[in-house]
Amino acid sequence: MAQTIFSTRNPQMRDFAKRLIAYEIRANKSSGTKALAAFPVCEKLRPHLANLMGNNGFRALLSRALVRAEADVPSLRSMQVKADGSLAGLDKLEVQASPEELARGSVVLVAQLLGLLVAFIGEALTLRLVREVWPKLSVNDLDFGKGDKK
Amino acid sequence: MKNQNAADNGQLTKKAVSQPAKVTIRKIPTGVRGLDDILGGGIPEFSFNVIAGSPGSGKTTMAHQILFANATVKTPALYFTVLGEPALKMLRYQQQFSFFDESKLGKAVRFINLSDLVLNQDLNAVLAEIIKQVTAANPGLVVVDSFRTVMRKALATAGEIEMQSFIQQLTQFLTSWEATTFLVGEYGEEEARGNPLFTIADGLFWLSQKVERNSVVRKLQILKVRGQDSVPGLHTVRISDAGLQAFSRTLGFERKKTHPARRRRLSMGIPDLDKMMGGGVLEGDSLLIAGPSGTGKTALATQFIAAGLRNGEPAIMAIFEERPKGYTDRADSFGLNLKTPLKQGKLEILYLRPLDLSVDETMQEILDAVKRVDAKRLVIDSLVSLEMALAPGFREDFRESLYRLIVALTGAGVTILSTVEVEDAFTGFSFSHYTISFLTDDIIRMRYVEIDGQLRKVMVVIKMRGGNHSKDIREYVITNKGVVVIHPRSTDYDGLTTGIPTRTGPRKAQEEETAPEPKAKK
Repeated sequence: MAQTIFSTRNPQMRDFAKRLIAYEIRANKSSGTKALAAFPVCEKLRPHLANLMGNNGFRALLSRALVRAEADVPSLRSMQVKADGSLAGLDKLEVQASPEELARGSVVLVAQLLGLLVAFIGEALTLRLVREVWPKLSVNDLDFGKGDKK
Repeated sequence: MKNQNAADNGQLTKKAVSQPAKVTIRKIPTGVRGLDDILGGGIPEFSFNVIAGSPGSGKTTMAHQILFANATVKTPALYFTVLGEPALKMLRYQQQFSFFDESKLGKAVRFINLSDLVLNQDLNAVLAEIIKQVTAANPGLVVVDSFRTVMRKALATAGEIEMQSFIQQLTQFLTSWEATTFLVGEYGEEEARGNPLFTIADGLFWLSQKVERNSVVRKLQILKVRGQDSVPGLHTVRISDAGLQAFSRTLGFERKKTHPARRRRLSMGIPDLDKMMGGGVLEGDSLLIAGPSGTGKTALATQFIAAGLRNGEPAIMAIFEERPKGYTDRADSFGLNLKTPLKQGKLEILYLRPLDLSVDETMQEILDAVKRVDAKRLVIDSLVSLEMALAPGFREDFRESLYRLIVALTGAGVTILSTVEVEDAFTGFSFSHYTISFLTDDIIRMRYVEIDGQLRKVMVVIKMRGGNHSKDIREYVITNKGVVVIHPRSTDYDGLTTGIPTRTGPRKAQEEETAPEPKAKK
C-alpha cells in the first residue's frame, strides 16, 4: 500500500506530530513518559477546531483519527472521544500500555489528526491553524511531501 | 416690496446652499466581477443583506468573495456557520478559488461555528453569542450561513413574533455596530413573499439555476438594494476558478458613444467591393454579410481583417465553429498573413467554446479582447454558430441579445462584420432568418445564381445607412487572392436576385472553360 498522508509511516507527518508533542511537553514541563502526550495537543487544538466545525465536528474528526491510530497502536482502543470532543480512557490506557507504546500512540494519534486536516483543508491552512495555536512553534521547515494525499 | 422679495429669495437661496449635506453611503466593492455595476456601484456600507437562492447557485461562494475582497486585520470579517456546510468543508472547497487568500484566515476572516448553540439553546443564546463575538472582534462584515437554519429553529421552538423580534434585534445590533451583514440561505422563490426577513433586508440578492435541456444557466436578480439604482432583471452568472462572475443584462450599453461627425471609410480589402460601398464601410458601422454556405463569407471577413491590419488597425475575430488554425491557414492560402499579427498581439482569434455560452459572457470576452488589443475591427463568424454555441435557455432571447451585443460593441467604437448563413430560396431574397437587418447599418448579400449552365456567385450591397452605395449586382469568384469581384454589372439578365435569371440580352458564344474558381490552397 502506498504511503499516504494518513499513514503513520509518513515520516514528515510523524516528525511534525513529534515536534508538537515535544513542544507541549516542554511547555507543560511534564515528563511525558507516562501520560498520553497527545492529550494536551488535542486539547489545545479542540477549541480552535470546534470554533470552526463545532464540538460535534471536532468529535467526529478526532474519533476518525483515533480509529485510524488504533490500527497501528491497538492499545489506543481503550480510549474514547467524549461528546465535547475531549479524550477519555487515559487512566485505563496508562495501566495497560508501556511508556514506549504510550509515546508511540501519542505520535500516531496526533499524526492522524493532522493528516486528516491536511487531507481536508490542505497543508497551508493546517499549518496556519497550528501557528494560531502554537505561535512560537517553528513550522517553516515542514514539508509534507507532494502527491501523498489520498 | 420687490426688493424685499428678492432679499428674501436671496436668503432662502443662501439657506438652501448652507443646508447640511445628505449622508453619503459608501459602497463596498463585492469582489465579484460585474456585480458592482449591477448593484449601482457596490454594496451600501452597514446594510443588512440576504443572499438567497437554490442549492448550488453560488450563495456561499458569493459571500466568501465579498469577505475576502474586503476583510482586513483592522476591519475583520466574521463568518458564522450554522448547521449548513461546516467551515472545514467550506475551507476545503473555497480555497480552490483564486480569490481565496489563505493569509487572511484567522485574523482578517474568522469562522465561528454556531451549530451547537442553535441545536442546544434558544434564539436568545444565539443572539447573545453573535453579539459577544461581534463586540469582541469589531468586524466590518458579518455573514451568517445558513440563516435559513436559524429561522427553521426559531419557527420550530418559538413563534413567528419571536423570530421577527430576533431578526429585528440582530439587524439593529449589527447596523449599530457598523457591520455590513449578509445572511445566506436556501429559499424558494415562493418564500420571498411575506417573509419578514426579506421585508427588513436592505439588499436582496437572489441566485438561481435553471436547467434547460442539457445545460444549466445560473442567474442573479437583485430584488432590492435600498438607496441606489441597481440594474433590474435577471443577470447571467458563471462560476469559474475565479469564483462568481456576473454579467449585467445591460452590459456594454454604458459604453455607447455617438459616432464622430466625420467618419472614415474602411477598406474591405476588396477594391471593387470598396467602390460598390462608396469607398468602404463606415468606421463604427455594423456590417452584415449574408449568404448561403460556400459563398465566401468567411473569406470576405478574413480579407476585411487583413485590410485593417495592413492599415495598423488591430482586430478581433470571434469564431464559434472552425478552429483558429483553419482561419490562419485560409488566410495563408489567400496570401494574407494573420500569423504575424497574432504573434504581435495585434490580432486575437477568440474561439469561444460552444454549447453553454451566454451572450453576456460572449460579449464580455469580446469586450475584454477589444480592450486588450485596442481593436478597431471585429468579425463575428457566424451569428448562426454563435446561436448554436449558446445554452438553450439563451437562444430564446437571441434577437434581443444580438441587439445588445451589437450596440455594446459598436458603442466601444469598433467596426463589426458579422456573417450569417441564409438558405438560398429560388423565389425570394432573404437577408437573415433572425430579422435582424434593422440592427445592422450595412448589409451585403451574397448568393448563388444559375447562369449558362453554371452555378455562379453574385453579391449586392443591400443597404448602407451612412451613405450612398452601388446598386449593381456583381459577379465574383473566390481565387487564391480570396473574394474577387469580376465583370461589371450584367445587363443581359433579369431576375438575378431569384437565383434563376432570365436572359434578356443576346446569347454569347460559350467557350469550354476549366473550373473558373481555382480552389484555395490547402
